[in-house]
Amino acid sequence: MGQVSTAAPELATVEARRPPGPWRTAGADLLHNRSALAAAVVLFLVVLATLCAPLYAHHVAHTDPFQSHVSGSTVADGKTVPVLTPSSTGLGLGVTPIGPTWDPAHYFLGADNQGRDVMARLLYGGRTSLFIGFTAALLTCALGTVVGVVAGYAGGVVDAVISRVLDVIWAFPVYLLAICLSVVLLTDGLHLGPLTVEAGSLWLPVAIIAAIYVPYIARPLRGQVLVLRNKEYIQAAIGSGAPTVRILRREVLPNVLPTAIVFVPLMTALAMLTESALSFLSVGVQPPDASWGTIIEDGLGLLYTRPAVTIAPGLLIALTTAALNVLGDGVRDALDPGARLRGGV
Amino acid sequence: MSRSTRRGAFAAATVALALTTAACSSSDSGSSDPTTSSSSTTAGSVAFQPQHKGGTLKLVAHAAAGSLDPQVNYTLQYWQLYQSMYDGLLSFKKVGGQESFTVVPDLAAAMPKVTNGGKTYTFTLRKGITFSNGKALTTDDVVASFQRIFKVSSPTAGTFYNGIVGATACLKTPASCTLKGGVTGDATANTVTINLTAPDSEFPYKLAVPHASIVPKDSPTKDAGTKPLPTTGPYMAASYDPNRELKLVRNPHFKEWSREAEPQGYPDQIDYTFGQTVESEVTAVENGEADWMFDPPPADRLNEIGTKYTSQAHVNPLTAFWYATLNVNSAPFNNKLARQAINYAVDRSAVVRLYGGTNLASPACTILPPGFPGHVDSCDYTKGGGKTWTAADLAKAKALVKKSGTAGQAVGIVVQDDDVNKSIGQYLQSLLTQLGYKATLKPLSANIQFTYIQNTKNKVQLALTSWYQDYPAASDFLNVLFSCAAFHPGSDSSINISGFCDKGTDAKMQTALKTAQTDPTAANKQWGAIDQSIMQQSPVVPLINPKIIDFTSKRLGNYQFSKQFYMLVGQTWVK
Amino acid sequence: MLRFIVKRFASALLVMFAISVLVFLIFFATPGVDPAARIAGRNADPATLAQVRHSFGLDRPMPIRYLLMMRHLLIDRDLESFVNRGSRVIPQIVQATPVTLSLVIGAALIWMAAGIIMGTAAAALRGKAADPLIMLVGVVGVSLPAYWLGEVVNLITQKQLHSSVFSWVPPPGYVDLSHDPGQWALHLLFPWLTLALLYAGIYARLLRGEVVTALNEDYVRTARAKGLSERRILIRHALRCSLIPIVSLFGLDFGALVGGAALLTEVVFGLPGIGKLTFDALQNLDLPVIMGTVLYAAFFVVLANALVDILYARLDPRARHA
Repeated sequence: MGQVSTAAPELATVEARRPPGPWRTAGADLLHNRSALAAAVVLFLVVLATLCAPLYAHHVAHTDPFQSHVSGSTVADGKTVPVLTPSSTGLGLGVTPIGPTWDPAHYFLGADNQGRDVMARLLYGGRTSLFIGFTAALLTCALGTVVGVVAGYAGGVVDAVISRVLDVIWAFPVYLLAICLSVVLLTDGLHLGPLTVEAGSLWLPVAIIAAIYVPYIARPLRGQVLVLRNKEYIQAAIGSGAPTVRILRREVLPNVLPTAIVFVPLMTALAMLTESALSFLSVGVQPPDASWGTIIEDGLGLLYTRPAVTIAPGLLIALTTAALNVLGDGVRDALDPGARLRGGV
Repeated sequence: MSRSTRRGAFAAATVALALTTAACSSSDSGSSDPTTSSSSTTAGSVAFQPQHKGGTLKLVAHAAAGSLDPQVNYTLQYWQLYQSMYDGLLSFKKVGGQESFTVVPDLAAAMPKVTNGGKTYTFTLRKGITFSNGKALTTDDVVASFQRIFKVSSPTAGTFYNGIVGATACLKTPASCTLKGGVTGDATANTVTINLTAPDSEFPYKLAVPHASIVPKDSPTKDAGTKPLPTTGPYMAASYDPNRELKLVRNPHFKEWSREAEPQGYPDQIDYTFGQTVESEVTAVENGEADWMFDPPPADRLNEIGTKYTSQAHVNPLTAFWYATLNVNSAPFNNKLARQAINYAVDRSAVVRLYGGTNLASPACTILPPGFPGHVDSCDYTKGGGKTWTAADLAKAKALVKKSGTAGQAVGIVVQDDDVNKSIGQYLQSLLTQLGYKATLKPLSANIQFTYIQNTKNKVQLALTSWYQDYPAASDFLNVLFSCAAFHPGSDSSINISGFCDKGTDAKMQTALKTAQTDPTAANKQWGAIDQSIMQQSPVVPLINPKIIDFTSKRLGNYQFSKQFYMLVGQTWVK
Repeated sequence: MLRFIVKRFASALLVMFAISVLVFLIFFATPGVDPAARIAGRNADPATLAQVRHSFGLDRPMPIRYLLMMRHLLIDRDLESFVNRGSRVIPQIVQATPVTLSLVIGAALIWMAAGIIMGTAAAALRGKAADPLIMLVGVVGVSLPAYWLGEVVNLITQKQLHSSVFSWVPPPGYVDLSHDPGQWALHLLFPWLTLALLYAGIYARLLRGEVVTALNEDYVRTARAKGLSERRILIRHALRCSLIPIVSLFGLDFGALVGGAALLTEVVFGLPGIGKLTFDALQNLDLPVIMGTVLYAAFFVVLANALVDILYARLDPRARHA
């Protein structure tokens, strides 16, 4: 705390004189919410672990999780064993990757069908999943706020057009829209004028997920702005000829921003689940990149022999999204108890 | 002509038999059922065993294979069923083993009389054959069926049957197709005459595949789709719903006329259900709820099948190869050294592992699969030299990449998005990265990938694909996949995916096709040399020759494997 | 009111039209998607390819192609699949509908019952240890990836514990209700539970919030002052008012699910419903079926939205202008 005050002493004194603002009350509320705090700790640990992915891969497991080791070998119980063992009994059909050794230096959670270290891939995959979940959520919330505010404030034709577009996206079943878009974009990449996104880029799933969820944010915000706009003080501001930008910045945004922020953690959870589902349908993250969803998809081919490859990333998704949901509930209770994302996917 | 063709098939058969003994042994050792091992080696047909007649054979597949029209459908899944449903003038022998590559008379009473320098085929129809709708088969039905090939735009209309006189006009305007002077029937003599524009040593094979099936003359002149056409064979379709089930029942009008061409079947009914996941298919067969599954069992069930169900698993080598195409018309693979580097670098044994292990696939180094007419053991790209592939030579590959000056260039790899293809793709991507390329992987839905990689507009540099024979002739691999005529820039249908067009090779292939009309053995030798000379140019990387695993229920008996159309469904019994 | 309904109806039609155009455009924007080459076979010559394109009308301009497709789908009702020729789109959807209805209605009954019980219990026990525990169960349900849960359930019931605890579980698949009601229920039991687990949490959490708010309202205090029992207050008063937002959310969810939003559950459990039909069509890039199923799904979403809106408009006249 002390360091902060030296950096911005004026701010600190100004703040001290005012009664506690809505943000500070909310912060205090959140700090008293024990489950939200626990969720934040869990999230922090997950993020920390994924940030350590290169550390683990290079210095602990000594493996490149993006390189195939189909003919490689490793050490288990002090013996050198192949990473992928062809069956030698009966008809000798099939090849089984090494299972969990519980030895962090050698295939802690076993290998996938390419002979890659599942633990290292989980850590790297977590980065991708979290990156996609968080950026997509931020993008959706930002886009949704802009669209919702513009539609609600401008009204008339602008509102009508925007609302119809939102209706279309809303009525398009989420996964169908995502799959349709992915099939096109994964084949050819995205070309929008000067902007080109390669077919394998992580920004494709980000963009797709962000786009399909915009109505989830924009619709409730539009409703809020509609109500606000009819409030006397805003009508008065408009009547006095204040510039639109200033009204939006001073009067409208501060009122809708809490709602938008409430949606971020909840949206992140939703985006992560969507990413994993798209990857499961092999229209999400593309190899050699890995995400928890793609690891599950890779692991399904080994479900009966090496269930750990499927179960571990699923549990991580569940843990992370549950933490995000609990944290999101906490933020909601603190900032805007009425805000609600459309339930269920 | 016909005699020489039959001899050709037979000559090929002896070569193949010698080469595949080792591969076949895995199947024989696996099956404790004595009928399995004996049936796959005994030539000729065994007498019908009435005590096994009856019951319902239950087949399962993840998905249906589209239209049921035998003149339209081009999938192994239904070609396998058509064996005991539809008949052509000729057919492949319905037996297990190498003999199944032999063409025998089916609706024709005998092999055709070939005159006019190999350009005229005359068939005499068998008497007393009736369609499942009760109508007798006549020469009119035969003539109409050949016209129908063009009227329904059969997939092979322009490639298999374009040599028939009048075919050019039929391809242009199918609706008014008559094949005038091409196919004519003589009702009184009960004969059908087919005239070709040029001799074609492979024509009997083309008459024995399902697209040349004979259907009633009043069949619709468009794809019959899900409405089954009347059959001549022992079974007919009672109902077909591609989302649920295909039901085959006995054709009440069927009387066995030739055991080797169209033997009567054992089960009274065949239920083919669709829509389950592959995992539950395996479980269903294990529990006896299904008798056979169409799809290859998933990787994580192979071990279980190979150890707990040894007597119910049948492994047979296929005359097919999986390969990677290298686009010879764009960087970096317009450089021959770069192409050769990939051929040296790919560890076939790794690909074999990804496919399911040494008992499910073998390393490939030639275009023609082992046991196929024309195949000669030779391998330019193995460590330490030798006739067959033994190990990858990564050092040599790296040196070649360096020499070619292509290191650091971007390479896109396009594969299908199923488990096996994607895992091989991931391996290739990892390998190319090791060689110093900037490799990216693009897995596409199986339905897009095959057309996507053919179209030059999509600028595909490296693609993973496979080729399964239509009929046992070397040209079905070499001429089809590597001739200039098979390269159509800008089209979705350009099966010469590498874009390999070499005038010299083309001329050699034309010579071999000519030689085949008179001397099949000499022709096969020529094909073997062509295979080697194409491989020196390295437009493709042969990866593996796959084997098929048929997983059957405990009660299923009389398993026989036809190399042409796979398990003889109607010949299995469940009683 | 009537004007409102008419307006709502017109906008729904507009939305459906836009969706159909969108699907059509997205489809033909995909390289390699042209069904002609796939239908024509693996080595078709150019003439055959051209013939196939012609027979499917693929050589005509895009707007004509679109209009023809919509005419066949909606007016003639004889649109055929690209992949399985001769199999019409509408009968396929009609055939798949009871499967999806069986799945969704069963699951909905379970999750509504579980959601209401959990939500009310948590609200009644607020401040006690049981409340966060119940809510935790709810959060976990919401946070599980549907397909993963299905696969794990399958692994446990079909493999790991199949020989001991779950030997009575039939293999994945569907049996018609009219064919054998017992088997129908048995085959659907785990799909129901899986789907219900994903939704019960949302409803429990929502309901808890509503009931807690209601318990602080004036009318509840009045009731309490009148000396009514806590249980009676909870069930007769607080719960009843809290159910309105639940019912409207249920309308939206139910509409989406009937339209095929249970895609992943249907795929994992091999149920031949609308979701599976859509999924297969997407895998096969079978535009006519995709078009049919997407419009079918959109219809239910739009209908559910409209019904909920009209319901609200009836309850609150101001909403008509919003």
